[in-house]
Amino acid sequence: MGHPNKTKWIPGPVVSRVLRYGLALVSIAAALVLALTLLHFHLPQTFVAFALSAIAITFWYGGAKPGILAAMLASVVRIYFFDPEISGLSRGVYYLVFLIFALLMMRATRARNELEQRVAERTADLTRANEDLKFEIAQRNRTEAELRKSEAYLAEAQRLTHTASFALNIASRKIIHWSQEHFRLFGFDPEGGVPSLEAVLQRIHPDDMERVHEIYETATREKTGYEMEYRIIIPNGTTKHIHMLAHPVFRASRDLVEYVGTLVDVTERKRADEERERLRQVQADLARIARVTTMGELTASLAHEIKQPIAAAVTDANTCLRWLTRDHPDVEEAREAASRMVKDTTRASDIISRIRLMFNKEASQRELLDINSVIQEMVGLVRNEANRSSISIRTQLAADMPRIMSDRVQLQQVFMNLMLNAIEAMKDMNGGGELTIQSQPAEDGHLMVSVSDNGLGLPPQQADQIFNAFFTTKLHGTGLGLSISRSIIESHGGRLWAADNSPRGASFHLTLPTNTEAPE
Amino acid sequence: MATQGKTKLVAIVDDDDLMRSALQGLLKAVGLPAQAFASAEDFLKSGQQHETACLIADIRMPGMSGLELQAKLNADHCRIPTIFITAHGDAKMRMQALRAGAVEFMAKPFDDEVLLENVRAALES
Repeated sequence: MGHPNKTKWIPGPVVSRVLRYGLALVSIAAALVLALTLLHFHLPQTFVAFALSAIAITFWYGGAKPGILAAMLASVVRIYFFDPEISGLSRGVYYLVFLIFALLMMRATRARNELEQRVAERTADLTRANEDLKFEIAQRNRTEAELRKSEAYLAEAQRLTHTASFALNIASRKIIHWSQEHFRLFGFDPEGGVPSLEAVLQRIHPDDMERVHEIYETATREKTGYEMEYRIIIPNGTTKHIHMLAHPVFRASRDLVEYVGTLVDVTERKRADEERERLRQVQADLARIARVTTMGELTASLAHEIKQPIAAAVTDANTCLRWLTRDHPDVEEAREAASRMVKDTTRASDIISRIRLMFNKEASQRELLDINSVIQEMVGLVRNEANRSSISIRTQLAADMPRIMSDRVQLQQVFMNLMLNAIEAMKDMNGGGELTIQSQPAEDGHLMVSVSDNGLGLPPQQADQIFNAFFTTKLHGTGLGLSISRSIIESHGGRLWAADNSPRGASFHLTLPTNTEAPE
Repeated sequence: MATQGKTKLVAIVDDDDLMRSALQGLLKAVGLPAQAFASAEDFLKSGQQHETACLIADIRMPGMSGLELQAKLNADHCRIPTIFITAHGDAKMRMQALRAGAVEFMAKPFDDEVLLENVRAALES
C-alpha cells in the first residue's frame, strides 16, 4: 500500500496531493457538520454512517493514504465530539471497524485502478488499431489511384499502338477480358458491354474464317499458344488486318483454362509490305531485264568483234592451203597468207584481253560489306521467282560475320546467278523445292557461302564443265553465268565450286577472304 | 573463161583491214584480180563501180552500210552482182539484200568454196 496509485484523471502530483489530502479533511469535516446538524435537530446520531461515507469517498477519489488519513480523522473526531467517555473495548471495536472498512476500501480502490489501467490500455490498443486501419485505407486509396493511372496509360498505349488485349475462357467460350482498344478495333460499342465470342467471330473475313478455326482448334487440342494473321470486316465496311497472339493459361492439373493475348491492327504495315513487295517485284523484273539485256548485248558485240578476225583467219588459212596444194606450190604466197593468219589470231586474242581488262577495271569499286546483307537483298529479289514455282527459301546466316572488301554489284550478280540457277533446277518439281543459303566463317581468314537446292543436280559426266564459258544445259542459257561468277569470285581472291547433294540437288560453295585489304 | 574487152574486176568493200587482205589474198590465190576499199564512200568515189563485175561487201560499216551501198548503186543504174558477208545478219536482213539483187548473203566465218563459186558465177553472168 506504499506505492502510489497514479490515475490518469488526477492532474499534477503536487496539486493532486493537496487536493487528495484536502479531500480527507473536507469529507470528514462535512460528515461532522452533517452529524452535528442532525444532532441539533434531535435526529438519531449518524456520524459513523457519514464518516464511513466520507472515508469511502476519500478512498475512491483521493487514494489510499488520504483514505487512511480520513479514517484516522474520523476516529479522532468521533471520540472527541460524540463519545468521549467510551470504554477501551468499544473504542477498539470502532477502530477495528474503521480499519476493516479502510482495508476493504483500499482493495476496492486498487481493483478500480487496475480496471482503469486495463481500460486505458485497451483504449490505447484500439486507438492504435484505428490509426493502422486509417493508414491502410489511405495506402489502398493511393494504390488504387496509381492503378487507375497505370490503367489509363495502358489504355493510351493500346490506343497508340492499335493493340488490344483479351482473355478467353475456353470451356465456356466466353470472353472474360476485352480491352477498350478492342472495342475500337472491332467496331463494337463499349456501351454494349463485352461482346459474345460469336459476335466477334462474325467480323472475321469469310475467306479467313476456316483458317482461323483450324488454327484455334489445333492449338486447343495440342494445348499450345498460337499466332496468326487474319482480316476482319467492321460494320462500316472497312477491312482490317489483325495480327493475333495468344498464350495458354493452365490450371495446376495441366488443363488448358484460358487464352490471354493481344491483337494488333497491322493494316498499315500490311499495306507497306504490299507496297514493298510490289517494289521488289519491279526491282526483280528490272534486274532480270538488265541481266538479260547486258548478257544479250555483251554476247552480240563479243560475237561481232571476235568473228571478224576469226573469219579472216579461216579465209587466210584456206588461202594458204590453196597456195600449198597447187601443182606448183607457191611457198612465198603461202607464207604471206600464214603471216596474215598470225595477225588475225593475234587480233582475236587482243579483243579477248581487252574485254577481260574492261571487266577487271569495273571490278575496282570495292567497299567494306556485310555479306549477310548482300545475301538478304538478293533473297528478297528472287523470292517472287521462287514463290512462282512454290520453292521455299531458307537462310542460315551466321551472326557476326566479318566484313569483307568487295564489289557489291558483282557479288549481287554472283548470288543472283546462283540462286536463279537453283530455282531453275527445281522449277519442274511441282513444289517441295527448297533453296538454302548458308553463310559461315571458314578456315584461314575466309568466309564461306553455300547455295544449295534439291533440284536436278549437276549434269552427269559434265560436272567439271559447268564453269566453262558457253557451256549450258538450258534451252535459252548463255552459258556465261557460272563462268562469270567464278571469275568474279576469283578476282576477289576466293574460290567457287560445285558439288552434288545427296539424295538430290546441287550445292555451290564460294569462299571469300575476310582481310580488309583488296586482294589484287 | 574468155576474157573479153571489159575487165572483170572484183571489188571488196569492208572496214576491217584483216578481212580485206584475207579476201584479196583468197582471190589472188585463185587468179582473180581484186581491188579492196575500206568504205562504201571510197568505192563510190573511186569510180571503179562501173568496171566492177562482182562486189563483195560487208553489211555493218561505219558510214554507209553495205545495204545502203547496194541501194545507191541500184539507184545509179549500176547493177553489180553483190555478195554480202556479215558477222551478224538475220533472216530479215538477208531477205532485204536478196530482194535488192544480191547474189548471196554469207555469214562470217564463211566457206571459201561457196564464196568463190558465187564470185565465178557473178563474173560469168
